[in-house]
Amino acid sequence: MTTPHPTTAADGGGRLIVDGLEKHYSLDGADVPVVKGVTFTIEPGTFTSLLGPSGCGKTTTLRCVAGLETSNGGTISLDGRVLSTASSHVSPDKRDVGMVFQNYAIWPHMSVFANAVFPLQVSGSRLPKQEARKRAMEALELVQLDGYAHRPATALSGGQQQRLALARALAHRPKLLLLDEPLSNLDAKLRDTMRNELRRLQQQLGITALYVTHDQSEALSMSDRVAVMNGGRIVQEATPRELYYQPADRFVADFVGRVNMIPAVVQGRDANGDAIVSAFGTKLVTPCPAELGTGSEVTVTFRPESVRWHETAPDRPNVLPARVVRVEFLGEIVEVEVEVLDGRAVAGTLVARGAPLDSPANGSSVFIELAPPACRVLAD
Amino acid sequence: MSTAGRTTEVGRTRPTGMKIATVIAGAVIFLLLAIPLAVQVITAFRGPFLPFGVSTAKWSADNFVTLWELREDFWAVLGSTAVFVGGSTIISLLLAFGLAWVTVRTDVPFRRVISVLVVVPFIIPPIVKAQAYQLMLSPESGVLNQLLRLLPGDLVIDPYSFATMTVVQSLTNVTFPFLMIVPILTSMDGSLEESARVSGASWGQTLRRVTLPMLWPGLLGVAVLTGILGLGSLEIPLLFGQEAGKNIFALKLWNLISAGAGELPQYGLAAAWGCVFLVITTIAFVIYLRATRSAERRASISGKGFRPTIMKLGAWKVPVLVAVFVFVLLTAILPMFALLWSAITPYPIAFSFEALASQTQWGAFGEVLADPEFWASLGRTLLIAGASATIACVAATVLAYGIARGRRTGWSKGMDLFASSSVAIPAVIAGFAMFLTFLVINPVIPLAGTIVALVIAYSYRVSIAYRSGYSATLQIRKELEEAALVSGASPLEGFRRVVVPLLLPTVFAVWIQMFILGTNEFTLPAFLATPESRPLSVYMYAMISPRSAQLYQPDQGAAMALIFTLLVFAIGYGLQWAVSLRAIGRARRRLTIPGLGTRATAAVPNDPPAPATRAVAAQGLEEQRELASVAE
Repeated sequence: MTTPHPTTAADGGGRLIVDGLEKHYSLDGADVPVVKGVTFTIEPGTFTSLLGPSGCGKTTTLRCVAGLETSNGGTISLDGRVLSTASSHVSPDKRDVGMVFQNYAIWPHMSVFANAVFPLQVSGSRLPKQEARKRAMEALELVQLDGYAHRPATALSGGQQQRLALARALAHRPKLLLLDEPLSNLDAKLRDTMRNELRRLQQQLGITALYVTHDQSEALSMSDRVAVMNGGRIVQEATPRELYYQPADRFVADFVGRVNMIPAVVQGRDANGDAIVSAFGTKLVTPCPAELGTGSEVTVTFRPESVRWHETAPDRPNVLPARVVRVEFLGEIVEVEVEVLDGRAVAGTLVARGAPLDSPANGSSVFIELAPPACRVLAD
Repeated sequence: MSTAGRTTEVGRTRPTGMKIATVIAGAVIFLLLAIPLAVQVITAFRGPFLPFGVSTAKWSADNFVTLWELREDFWAVLGSTAVFVGGSTIISLLLAFGLAWVTVRTDVPFRRVISVLVVVPFIIPPIVKAQAYQLMLSPESGVLNQLLRLLPGDLVIDPYSFATMTVVQSLTNVTFPFLMIVPILTSMDGSLEESARVSGASWGQTLRRVTLPMLWPGLLGVAVLTGILGLGSLEIPLLFGQEAGKNIFALKLWNLISAGAGELPQYGLAAAWGCVFLVITTIAFVIYLRATRSAERRASISGKGFRPTIMKLGAWKVPVLVAVFVFVLLTAILPMFALLWSAITPYPIAFSFEALASQTQWGAFGEVLADPEFWASLGRTLLIAGASATIACVAATVLAYGIARGRRTGWSKGMDLFASSSVAIPAVIAGFAMFLTFLVINPVIPLAGTIVALVIAYSYRVSIAYRSGYSATLQIRKELEEAALVSGASPLEGFRRVVVPLLLPTVFAVWIQMFILGTNEFTLPAFLATPESRPLSVYMYAMISPRSAQLYQPDQGAAMALIFTLLVFAIGYGLQWAVSLRAIGRARRRLTIPGLGTRATAAVPNDPPAPATRAVAAQGLEEQRELASVAE
């Protein structure tokens, strides 16, 4: 416990390396693999999210890192110290991690202070009474709960319990902070506030953080890097922007934000090296990996907010005639569903999003523009 | 603790020592229940007397053959028992359902008072209740028959008829089903009925088409437990049924083993009878398990704090109140009055103001208090009840925690079922089986007739503590323990500082409940106690039973019954009060009570209620539900 005062620490974090993590559960005698060779590294002081649908193995991965589950293979190490291999397992109390649980796991029979001071009283990092008290109050100050120290923990509101759980996880100044969907029990507005506060604290303390969520906006807004998981594997690990604009496959494209997907066939290349593909009975221009040759069946993806609509056709590539079939007002934006026309026939539907003020009327004819840089081609 | 080489299991969050403790607790409970039942089965197949150590003991099915040869007797016992237990269970359930409905679902005035009046007699020892009813119904001096004579018509209740006995049995057992039905009614989502009403159904149609179909699995479960309870209790048949009720199972078993002079008691035949009824209650228990599983599926407990819809009684208020009053009169006021009257009169005389002025005396109370045997048996009662409650609570809680937290294996599922199964064993069978067991092991371990034997026998009601411990453990979300681990607490520290404090309130509450059950116990000591080890209930029975010649002192018996009842009340409520002082303090810390302002001070007013708070509130509800559902 020689780390400096937590409010000034900028080097409190450790490097987490997870290599080839495997975890099976036995269910009715059968071995069900849940985590299948997950590998990632979190640099000290950075924030990584595991993002995926429920059952993808993200929480199990986190629990393996915490030591609450025993892994079946692969290694986990924190700052060079091996925490777990196929044949060894450091118990959770000796891992020097802090964890915030989905439902906070605030001990209901203790006061706010007793919850926060607990990690400093137990064998993991027992401190002299005065020192423990000081540290616990510092942790409570960090989350602005110092005024509530002697309240019963359950007299706190949901958001306050959340902050107490965070204070408790930070009180013993662990090298790694684990967060298991900590915001999912809060209402939308509070969630936004807590999101900012959590990120601010993590950066202020310089602690390494591993965050598990199924909410893409949480993952994108808070993380330095995001690992998208599906079926027990990491399918893409990247910065939030890369993930959003250059999804590795259809799953990532679909899971992270809304997306239009259009089946297409590569017809050739233009002068810039962009591909010309046939879709909607016409030709579209799109950036495309060079290895996809003529005749490849692909999927063109683009985000609804990249689609623009016009009353008259602009003289640019990728402009398609269409008819508006649905206009949905969502407040800050409007969502428009159009049928792309191929002559008189309907060639397919698209969803577009834009500012409500210049929204087209339902049933009107518009021209849809898909700017080539916003398009991305995925191999089928 | 070494940090390497611990890779065998998933989710090791409990102390390794816990595993050993779980196994020991499981073994204790297994032996407690399995050995007596095994001895009983063996006795049924090994001869007419004891199964071991006597020359007549050999493997045979003779006892069952005898049962079949005496099949007229056999069918008479089955029929008599079915009518007695079935009839009293149905009446108890109807009364309990009606009272529960009135207190939970209507706007009748004094609802709280009514539910207290229904619940309070629960604490009166059953043997005292039986005695009080007997006095109340006495043809000449009984206060009820006196009242009936005031009415036109020549109505006199014969206390010793089969019908009277059945009704009395049902009246003594209303509280138990009441306590179980109230939470079922309370937790029913009113919106389900409201949607039926909005769809155009009348109150009656809603009850018939929505309410009862939703409730019936739960009610079936209550009926089975009430029936097993009635089947197992000896008090009413023993006091009322020597003639009309001699074919009721509890009394039949009792008479079989109380041999006349010069003949050997027919333990083998009694054991065969026990086996027959054990099969019946096992079937009933299976029905109960299915019913509760189905009830859980139908339970619409969303934890949203809904209120059941309240039926407006309007002009029906008065008749309902009158009916409730008659019930209270019959189950509490008149019996207690009859008891008091008996205590202050030297011999049975009818109540009159004349007699009140000239014949009454209060000496019986003084004599009881001056009787050293009274104090000795009271001491034994407290000792036996306290020791057995402690054994049962400790073993059951440890096992419940181990099973609820451990991996589900065939072993743990079997043990779970087994530890829950003592509710399926009627008290008379348990008493008889324990009695046989102590006789059989007596040459090796001489415990027969001792206080230790009683402590072991009383502990057989371990399922009550087990079920409560199990659900209390499930209420402690696993994350609470995991949070301790990732905070750096060793498994043992986590257990001590998180699990134990959270389990304790439930364990205390169950301990009190089992302690009271123990002080009230009559059926078990009736089989097991000797004059040297008898508890107060049995000593009191000796005072009021004409067959115990030199001890027969009905006025002292009545006085003792009153003192006994007051003592149980004092102890029960005293303990509950002592615990609630702690619990209130705890509740203040643990519960956010809506409208009491704790939330109002929260910094962010539009926060949703925190999950932990909800879980704890649910735990409070669940504890009550569980307590009610296991109350026996």
